[in-house]
Amino acid sequence: MTDRRAQTPAATAPERARPAGAWRGRSGHVMAIVGSLVFFVVCWQLASTFLFNEKLLPGPVTIFQTAVPMFVDEGLVDHIMISLDRVVIGFVLGGVVAIVVGLLIGRIRLFDALVGPPLQFLRFLSPTALIPVAIIWFGIAEASKVFLIFWATFLFAVVTIIQGAKTIPQTRLRSAQTIGASSWTALWRVVLPSSVPFIVGGLRTAVAASFMSIIPAELLAAQSGLGYLLSQATITMDTPRVFVILTVFGLLGFLTDWVFRLVTSLALRRYLTT
Amino acid sequence: MLTMVARPPEQSTTSPDDVVEIRSVSKRYGRGARVTSVFEDLSLDIRRGSFTTVVGPSGCGKSTLLNLLGGFEAPTEGRIVFEGAEVSAPAPDRLMVFQGAPAALFPWLSAGRNVEFGVSQAHRKWPAAQRKEATRRALTLVGLWEHRGKTPAQLSGGMQQRLQLARALAIDPGVLLMDEPFGALDAQTRETLSAELVRIWQGTQPRKTIVFITHDIDEAIRLGTRVVVMAPEKGIVGDFDAERFGFDDGIEQAGYGELRSTVRELLGRGAL
Repeated sequence: MTDRRAQTPAATAPERARPAGAWRGRSGHVMAIVGSLVFFVVCWQLASTFLFNEKLLPGPVTIFQTAVPMFVDEGLVDHIMISLDRVVIGFVLGGVVAIVVGLLIGRIRLFDALVGPPLQFLRFLSPTALIPVAIIWFGIAEASKVFLIFWATFLFAVVTIIQGAKTIPQTRLRSAQTIGASSWTALWRVVLPSSVPFIVGGLRTAVAASFMSIIPAELLAAQSGLGYLLSQATITMDTPRVFVILTVFGLLGFLTDWVFRLVTSLALRRYLTT
Repeated sequence: MLTMVARPPEQSTTSPDDVVEIRSVSKRYGRGARVTSVFEDLSLDIRRGSFTTVVGPSGCGKSTLLNLLGGFEAPTEGRIVFEGAEVSAPAPDRLMVFQGAPAALFPWLSAGRNVEFGVSQAHRKWPAAQRKEATRRALTLVGLWEHRGKTPAQLSGGMQQRLQLARALAIDPGVLLMDEPFGALDAQTRETLSAELVRIWQGTQPRKTIVFITHDIDEAIRLGTRVVVMAPEKGIVGDFDAERFGFDDGIEQAGYGELRSTVRELLGRGAL
């Protein structure tokens, strides 16, 4: 958090470099992605058929055969929606708090001194580590899951957002001062928009973090959601079902990340060009 | 307010009073044994309506001096008085025009919004119509009214600097502080913008007070009505009247070469 060079958000670099609206020339890129996925699936199938025990590492074909009834008869979509619901609520709450706290820490020295050190300590408490606390505080209902997602989102996003607020060019801040903007106005109308590339980068890491937290959150104390299904499949040692859930989970994260990038690059375009 | 009626330079009447008084100001950085002094006991008065250029090599403290005037830094000793009140913080009445236009502008706002945002912050009590009018006049004055819908990134480097100048003109400050505003531009653009700045300044009624920092001796003499020379660790080493040199034919006028060599000598051959 103190080393600025090390914390430059790599995630935002491509977005900045790529001119907005350059989707047309990307067909080669799309082909490469499809090719790489096909290659992965084929290797997986071959490995599970010839190298490993099918029971331990089910291949894509088995997973597909297991997945169809799960979707059609067992309401897998409902569980997906329940998990996504928790992710979205926790992510939005965590994201908003991360932006507010991140900008305040990054720009107000007193706030940094007060909140910075405890935050450095809390960073090391992973969402999994907080499961007991979440259950004690919020019970086994929705609130404890949302809290864990919130926690993951906040922690992963806030570090990058602080960095963004700290690396705004001095000239930009002085420019706001010289035209007579109050500190408050400067914070929300100059610092916030100037930090958007970092905010987007930080939130994108947080998307992955929030997805990684939903499973542990639902494993222990839930009656629904993908994590709950995963724990049920583990009890019955049903490896194909485990792999279906993991595959669905990976695809969900992949899609969410893609949607996030698409929406931010379109909606926040004028803040991402410098 | 600005008026667009240009007046010939010889008619300029600078009132005797001073807008800015710099009184025995010292600026040092660091503490204890590591203290470094930028300048000591520096005094300077800026007359109302003057175009004062401060010239010197990098490290002479000219930018620090401007930052003190702008209120971005505080003097270690001495005081700076602007219109009778001691300078303690940045204010739009001592408006700074920065060298790096991309950082000084707000890239997410259109050119028009950049100016309007400046006006709305500097003059919160102005009604919307007055803000819009000030924005329109300033953008027209620098030739950017047609480009008001573009973002800064869609403008060239010279146009971006014009936009920053438009924001400053729309705010109409008591003194305009310019920190090597054309330093990052190519020679051609620099020449055009310098001429334009003089034209705009000559059109202001009453004349706007400008303090302009540069490391270019020719720029200093041609733009300024007064040239202040600063040298590293020595503070102010020269103070010249340069009113007789018009911008367009400055270098061809008698005495220009003489002033130029004097300034050059003051700064030492190795300095520039």
